[in-house]
Amino acid sequence: MILEAILLGLSTGTYCTMYCAPVLIPFLFGCEKTGHKRNAALTGAFLGGRLAMYFILGAAFAGMELLVHEYMNPVLARKLSVYAYIFCGLSLLFNSLGVKFPWGCKDGCHSPKLRRIGNDWVTAVVTGLSVGLHVCPPLWTAILRSVFGGNGISGFFYFLFFYVGTLPFFIPLLGIPFVAKKLPVIKRVSRVTQFCLSLYFLVCLGLLPFFFG
Amino acid sequence: MVSSLILCALMSCLTFFFCVVMGNFAPTSIIYAVFLIFIFTRMTFAERKRIGSGVIYRRIFQTVFAVGFCIAFISDLYAERGSMAITSEAMNNSELPFCHIAIPQVLLPFLITKSIIFPARISGAYAAAASMICIWLAVTLTVGRGWCSWICFYGGWEEGFSHVAKKRRLNLLPKNKEMREIHFGFFLFIILASICQLSCIYCEWFCPFKLTTEYFPMNSIPTLLAGVMFIGLFLGLVVVLPILTKRRTQCSTLCPFGAFASLTDRISLFRMKIDTDKCKGCLKCASACPFGAIDITTIQEKKGHPELNCAKCGECMNACPEKAISYEFRFNMKKEKCGCGRKEPKTAFGRVLREISEPAQLFRFAAFTFGMIMSSGFVDRSMKIVFDAIKGAF
Repeated sequence: MILEAILLGLSTGTYCTMYCAPVLIPFLFGCEKTGHKRNAALTGAFLGGRLAMYFILGAAFAGMELLVHEYMNPVLARKLSVYAYIFCGLSLLFNSLGVKFPWGCKDGCHSPKLRRIGNDWVTAVVTGLSVGLHVCPPLWTAILRSVFGGNGISGFFYFLFFYVGTLPFFIPLLGIPFVAKKLPVIKRVSRVTQFCLSLYFLVCLGLLPFFFG
Repeated sequence: MVSSLILCALMSCLTFFFCVVMGNFAPTSIIYAVFLIFIFTRMTFAERKRIGSGVIYRRIFQTVFAVGFCIAFISDLYAERGSMAITSEAMNNSELPFCHIAIPQVLLPFLITKSIIFPARISGAYAAAASMICIWLAVTLTVGRGWCSWICFYGGWEEGFSHVAKKRRLNLLPKNKEMREIHFGFFLFIILASICQLSCIYCEWFCPFKLTTEYFPMNSIPTLLAGVMFIGLFLGLVVVLPILTKRRTQCSTLCPFGAFASLTDRISLFRMKIDTDKCKGCLKCASACPFGAIDITTIQEKKGHPELNCAKCGECMNACPEKAISYEFRFNMKKEKCGCGRKEPKTAFGRVLREISEPAQLFRFAAFTFGMIMSSGFVDRSMKIVFDAIKGAF
């Protein structure tokens, strides 16, 4: 059971990478302090947020009796994705304006009011939570298997090991401080990327589909 | 003199084959071939007289190419679909023409999913993904980012508009570094967003050249907004800012292919060299560079070469009063510093061979050859369309 969960995570981890890498790469590269410990802790906070959202979603789906279906309702999945992009875009935008604005302001702070709400730790957790709202097919499979695979505790561990199986795809992120040290210009470039990405998530993938379908 | 004649003769043969023979000896293909040979000959002999003075012929060539491409491409779309708007049939059948700007967006998703995320033909007719990627590889290995200033069929629009005004109204020279950061930041954004969405984000939302090629039909608010974005970006970055700044602003701030080509340029054969002993620091090269590749610090810190985003257009060579800037083989850059490895040829044949193998001559020859091959089909057809239209009008 554990081996199956890990293999499921390993074989489908690219899905997670595709959703998480665009958020994490510019966010981690653009940080003012780029120590190895801080970088690992921020990544951990993001991944913790994502795992927490998966448990919340699992509980909510079970409560709504959605888990009796073999497939996730695509309309609901799309709605959740739209919310994910809105929250993620807002969080990245607050972080950009409050702490990591690329141009012409001291310490990257463009709007001092957003400095607290947009600090790196809050952003890591909130973006982690919002990325967790993307319900991809492997996640759905893992949720179903963990719910129907046995009793509550073994299901919990099944999901946990599935999650652990996806983590090797995040190991390259631990090298970010090393690259940032070798290539200092990447910090400013990443801040531009994060700013563009936050607007794209918020407007193109969040608000437009939210209002106009 | 003999070396220039030999190069012109070689180019004439190539032009004859690629333009005239491939164009089935049509009158328009012959006219275009004569035009190309004239441009190359004038460029080569102008460069013999004064280094850098041939750039005007590159400008003319690229502008003609861009306008010709646009006319031929749009008429193709009308013939095939009846409009410039992308039809759902073309999308479903993966029949959209694949352009080089999509290359950096499809490479990483291809590694992950083993499929091309752009709805294009993989092989077969022109503008298929495989043929475009092969051309890009060949150009990258030889002229590198020279693609942008010699071969790109969109760049000619900005090239033309940036030479409309006589005087520069807006000086972006002090902002070069910031513009480069925006360019690479935007490039990284496009790559990451393309991975996230598994679609070409730049083509969907940001390409100003949708206005001159094909676009999604504007039948919903999001597509209408995208249309407004295309029009705004085209007017802003391709028309107004190039006129005000005398620079190629779209190419140096937004184009993901430009940023990608800057990064892959390291494997190309040629690069620009600034002779720091000759340079007097007048900064004329920096203000002449249409890509913002020479900063004030590049000259002050005596780096000896332009920055990463140099497109090898040769404008700086033309502007430099000391003739301190030249093309150089990348593998020769270190050797030049010690002054070793260069022997004067003793025979006339040796001197001719030496002249032909000068990096500047070879670079111009290679870049023009690629440009000629890429442009021949389009410009030839566009001339035919224009002549037919004139004939029809009378």
